[in-house]
Amino acid sequence: MQSFFEVLAYAIIAYMLFSSLSYLGFFLLAFGKVKREANLDRKESTEDLLGNQNTFPVSILVPAYNEEVGVTSTVRSLLSLEYPEKEIIVIDDGSKDKTSERMIEEFQMKEIPFAVRLHIESAEIKAIYQSSIFPYIRLIKKANGGKADALNAGINLSSYPYFCAIDGDSILENDGLLKTMKPIIESDGQVIVTGGSVRIANGCTISRSKVEAIDLPKSPIVLMQIVEYFRAFLIGRLALSHLNVLLIISGAFGVFNKERVIQAGGYNKDTVGEDMELVVRLHRLLREEKSKQRIEYIPDPVCWTEAPETLDVLKSQRIRWQRGLLETLWSHKKMMLNPKYGSVGLFSMPYFLFVELLGAVFEFVGYFLIIGGFAFSLIDPFTAGILFLVTIFYGSLISALAVLLEELTLHKYPKASHLMRLYFWALTETFWYRPLMVFWRVLGIFAAFRKGAHWGDMKRKGIST
Amino acid sequence: MSLHFFWILSLSLLLGQLVLLLALAWRKEKMSAKEQAITQQYEALIDSFSSYMLDPSDDRFLREIQNSTHKIVVLERLLNGYVAVTKGSVASPLVTKLSEDLLAAHYAKQLARKDWASRMNTLYYIEDFHITSLKPLLKERIDKSSILDQETQQLLRTLASLNEPATISVLARYPDAPVRLYTDVFQRLEEQTRMEELDAALRNEIQNNALKHAAVSYIGRAGLIAFLPRIEAELKTGEAEMRIQALKAILHMQYLTDPGLLLSFLQSQSWTERMYASRIAGKLQLSRFKEVLSVLLGDPVWWVRYSAAEALLQFSDGDILLTHLSADHPDRFARDMAAQWKSSLLGSET
Repeated sequence: MQSFFEVLAYAIIAYMLFSSLSYLGFFLLAFGKVKREANLDRKESTEDLLGNQNTFPVSILVPAYNEEVGVTSTVRSLLSLEYPEKEIIVIDDGSKDKTSERMIEEFQMKEIPFAVRLHIESAEIKAIYQSSIFPYIRLIKKANGGKADALNAGINLSSYPYFCAIDGDSILENDGLLKTMKPIIESDGQVIVTGGSVRIANGCTISRSKVEAIDLPKSPIVLMQIVEYFRAFLIGRLALSHLNVLLIISGAFGVFNKERVIQAGGYNKDTVGEDMELVVRLHRLLREEKSKQRIEYIPDPVCWTEAPETLDVLKSQRIRWQRGLLETLWSHKKMMLNPKYGSVGLFSMPYFLFVELLGAVFEFVGYFLIIGGFAFSLIDPFTAGILFLVTIFYGSLISALAVLLEELTLHKYPKASHLMRLYFWALTETFWYRPLMVFWRVLGIFAAFRKGAHWGDMKRKGIST
Repeated sequence: MSLHFFWILSLSLLLGQLVLLLALAWRKEKMSAKEQAITQQYEALIDSFSSYMLDPSDDRFLREIQNSTHKIVVLERLLNGYVAVTKGSVASPLVTKLSEDLLAAHYAKQLARKDWASRMNTLYYIEDFHITSLKPLLKERIDKSSILDQETQQLLRTLASLNEPATISVLARYPDAPVRLYTDVFQRLEEQTRMEELDAALRNEIQNNALKHAAVSYIGRAGLIAFLPRIEAELKTGEAEMRIQALKAILHMQYLTDPGLLLSFLQSQSWTERMYASRIAGKLQLSRFKEVLSVLLGDPVWWVRYSAAEALLQFSDGDILLTHLSADHPDRFARDMAAQWKSSLLGSET
């Protein structure tokens, strides 16, 4: 029996080393790209687009469910976006709180008849409102159908060729939309989806729907999520985007070519990972058509969002994410290792299966063997020691590297003390935060077998102060 | 592999990271101090800069900027602020003088740097400050480029802003050059050069359709009425894309010598042509087409219905027409569209 666990331990060591090396490979790929553009004067590079008639108009879709605390400040922040032509559509997905009432009151909205184009089926639309102050702000009041259904309703009502999906609790930097649209405009539509970085707003000073001062939160749970976002966005997504095999554009902030999304069938209501599922379906469509169109991630445009501050909410978020990942991979299993889908089928899908999804299982077994090795001689203590070190390497050291990459390139956090705090918290990841995540992600795999889509149960405090 | 190996590997990685961390923290402190110094110097120079720009005889600024330890960055910020807020400042002789005297030599060096971002920033600033002395250097670089990447595109924009007519012929070397880039170049050229280049593009002697489309599109957006007869002539061309570009241009120009030309487009097989023709009929308030527009309100294509309703709304009695059509049009979708556009008056009424 002990030899079985020994073999298992070495398999886990090999897996973690392989995954770590893949992260390091991604890091090198990402580093070159981000470093090249790090000193670019972003204002200069986008100011031409601001007055340029070639800039495509964009419909901004804000799906909201029980977002009475943050929805109006999100819309206010969208109003101040530097972008030549835009419309804002808030979709109240049958909220039980006063989401619609807040919108109607704040923007003096009146009910209007509207000839909605039914591109994609959605739950019943109860009413459509339009602001009397800003006629390009509209509100859809609809029956509850989930986030995907809300976005589909927004797509139906939108008038412009591109739409930006943004969460009801997020704040976009003033030039964020312009920067996100830049690759689409410059590629003449060859880029069909772009996503920007999502950053955690907890701890920052936000007034008048704008991030005034960037600071770190006190809560270690939120600090660790900041590190985690660096790791996911700066290392993973950038490198995958560089290879045109990126499977996730965050649901919190992304711009999509509407025609392509409609062609793909819109957002899937049967999964909780509707953002990833749509991107995979778009890749599938592009590969089946042998199209050269691309999906891109841009690290600089930043969308600030509120992160969970309690373990309960964080747990439910992670279970939902993991479940969404499994559902997406399962519903597109046909693409897995299928040469017809090129690098997405041969590289990206297996990578997401073995590293992003099953990684949690491997790590879970790894933690079990470490404890079993040291406490119950389940495996040789030396093997347990190696496993322990590799786990630290895979967890803490890679995350700490992500913090350093952020500082090397974007350096959004202004003080040296921010860097120090983030780095040292990153080093602690393996010892408390990662085991929690691993456990919840394993629970998420089980949760995937119990159906029933719903919105996340985020307890909002509101990020605007 | 032994435990020792992993210990050494992990510790050396940790050590390496710690060294990097300290270096980054030190860099951050240094950058922060530098930024603070730049801001202080910028604020200290704003007054003398403003005085100099208003009255060049007050040359305190010229002496003070020489003493600045961050002369280049501070001047860039001052000039950037000035060109961003002052109308007609791009052609300001003072901006040109300051940038030629204090920045041109530095920019010439920057253009030769390996760092891509520095070269790009330099190209943006040369355009903003209109540094014509660097034109030969930029031409040399554009002649050497062989791919239309981001840098070459900006090089073309910058050269066009310095009124270099050869930019169009350089751009024409790239068969996949986007229409957007051609219009960017037209926009930046000085008026006389621009008119000559537009004229040549419409003649299309070099058989470059992207260039011709861009010229038609630019003429429309800029409202260059002098070209109207030639744009109208394009309505009769056999090339569908060119007809659409011409319709778009007429829509922007809001002028048509013979409104009768529009009828065949309102009845076209192509929905795009019906859509643009409807929009033109509305923009030009061509009452004779009210009836056709009422029919198009029930068109099978959503965009045509949308544009027809929008067009009807442009007429002085548009709201009455739409009220009537929203109740009595035989087509249900037409009634919905009319109702929607009627309600779009909501924002403008208050």
